[in-house]
Amino acid sequence: MAEQHMTTEQYTAAIEKARALFEDLSYSYAKEWKEQDPSRRVIGYLPIYIPREIIHAMGMLPVGIFGAGDRMSIVKGDAFFQSYICHIPRTVIEMALNGNMDHFDGFLFPSICDVIRNLSGIFRLKFPDKFIRYFDLPQNFDRKVGGEFYRKEIERLIEGLKALNGHELTTEELNASIEIYNYNRRLVNELSDLRSDFPHKISAVDFYLVLRAGGTMTVEEHNQYLEEILRLAREVDADPEDKIRVVVSGAFCEQPPLGLIKTIENAGCYVVEDDMQLGMKWIKTDIPSDTDDPVSALIEAYLDHSEFSSAVYEADNPKGEQLKQQVIDRRADGVLFCAPSFCDPALLDRPILEQAMDAYHIRHFGFQYHENLGQFHVIKEQAGTFADMIKLWE
Amino acid sequence: MNYSLGIDVGSSYIKMALIDYRDGDSVIVDIVNEKIRKRNPTQVIEQLEQEIFDRHNLKYEDLIYVASTGEGELVRRKRGHFYSMTTHARGAYHFHPEARTVVDLGALFSRAITLEQGARVRSYAMTGQCASGSGQFLENITRYLGVTLDEVGTLSMQSTDPSRTSGICAVLAETDVINMVAQGIPTPDIIKGIHLSIAGRILKLLSKLRVESPVILTGGMAMDKGLVAAIQEEQSKKNMALEIYPSEHPMTAGAIGAALWGGFRHFKLAEKAA
Repeated sequence: MAEQHMTTEQYTAAIEKARALFEDLSYSYAKEWKEQDPSRRVIGYLPIYIPREIIHAMGMLPVGIFGAGDRMSIVKGDAFFQSYICHIPRTVIEMALNGNMDHFDGFLFPSICDVIRNLSGIFRLKFPDKFIRYFDLPQNFDRKVGGEFYRKEIERLIEGLKALNGHELTTEELNASIEIYNYNRRLVNELSDLRSDFPHKISAVDFYLVLRAGGTMTVEEHNQYLEEILRLAREVDADPEDKIRVVVSGAFCEQPPLGLIKTIENAGCYVVEDDMQLGMKWIKTDIPSDTDDPVSALIEAYLDHSEFSSAVYEADNPKGEQLKQQVIDRRADGVLFCAPSFCDPALLDRPILEQAMDAYHIRHFGFQYHENLGQFHVIKEQAGTFADMIKLWE
Repeated sequence: MNYSLGIDVGSSYIKMALIDYRDGDSVIVDIVNEKIRKRNPTQVIEQLEQEIFDRHNLKYEDLIYVASTGEGELVRRKRGHFYSMTTHARGAYHFHPEARTVVDLGALFSRAITLEQGARVRSYAMTGQCASGSGQFLENITRYLGVTLDEVGTLSMQSTDPSRTSGICAVLAETDVINMVAQGIPTPDIIKGIHLSIAGRILKLLSKLRVESPVILTGGMAMDKGLVAAIQEEQSKKNMALEIYPSEHPMTAGAIGAALWGGFRHFKLAEKAA
């Protein structure tokens, strides 16, 4: 009993560590890391996917910029974006203009949508002394077309980073980084499986925070942290509740507030799979880490083993099929389509995915949010009745 | 011994119902409701739970299901949670199988729920964030008027010339009441005016749905006979031709519904596992 109490306390303390990083909009961890060695560089990246292995291998710290959520008032950000644009670019520019990211040496904007592309342009104008790169991930998955395009994009990135610290990247270094991130992916997958098998042991909010810490800490520390969380979560003695199991889909870029994730669980749903912070789970397998050409290994991983997402165009659009497979793999009872307001990729895909779910007789319902949403009552009503419907009448 | 406990955590009251499944029947063996006042709701819940366990010589492990409804996250030990609409529908249906519509008149929100066969929710509508149709608003007003909630119904029935308040906004309505008091308008007429305003909001809610009769009222405000009379009076004026009356045990309908759905769910899961 006393041992169990201690485990619960240790688990709670470990989660609080991730929560503190989440709350810190000054990115103090990156600042302290950089101050330890004047040659160190910090590179911020936006959702969804960036091959962090390259930044790591260059001796730099990749830091995820996922917006300020509900923890910052927008004063300047609204001047840059129209009212029909999603919320995340407003808090990102607000943080940058407020000096929260002054210690960052560069920013990478992956090709999610036009809004993020425009945000990269705004950064270029406002911060001419920083390294700013729109990182154009291929939408064509043919090796000779998308593969070659991606190789040039990666080479351009390596050159750009080299200009920051003069480091000449070696094959050995990139292979070593790939191996460290392979281990990180394995641990994240293990945690995802643990959550799906025992969702009462690690809540959706806790899972979210643990992953989010990976966008702040060094990957080495995150690996240790994941090991600790896995050990503690397995040992926590919690009783399962009678809830439905849901897959949350559509929250891959602008992140839902923690209150919303908690609301979904409190309304009677265990989140057993989701696409929040999708970049952390983007590559689904290990990437070979012993080749003579690790850049090709990264390219092939992207082309062949990427997670599906609305930010990626797929000609024959098998996303409905892939979502169905997630539902089956995670033994989910239904899907919650949870997308940010004005998120074109997520909202344009939603009807296709809904139709697919209908065709497979998978229950679903959808709603929208923005990262600083503070009222969850309506969503609680909807998620609650959805859960009741499945529990009582299915 | 097959006991199921329902816990309805409201913003003002904690309500509980203990149900025993005997010989294929469900029997309500205990009902509790307690005002939270300024206490920690979780502690109130645990204290009430313990009192019920002591009265029936039970412990938590003996229960087949503990179900929360309302602000269920405040219940530390439970097996499942059901949403308020589902539980109020079930609670009202238990006493009134003829129910086609249920209106939960709560402390913060009111909800209209139409039913299909077997207390299944067909559709629903609820009041927005405005408080002027809520029990909390009525409670605030009684404080201004210096009367108790128990007196409200009787006073309202004594009104001869009701003075209506704003049906839109609680802040404006409270200002109206202060002005009425200053003008010397009799308390029964003020209260009846408030009841008619709330009734107007409830009927608007009903008009959003394809409502069928009879309409059963649940929630704490359904015990206010002045409000029930005002709703009946207003719907009659609007020729809505609805039969509207309060449920038996309206205050604990949600807790009863939660306990009943909990029991249902327990047997359903047991059947699946078999």
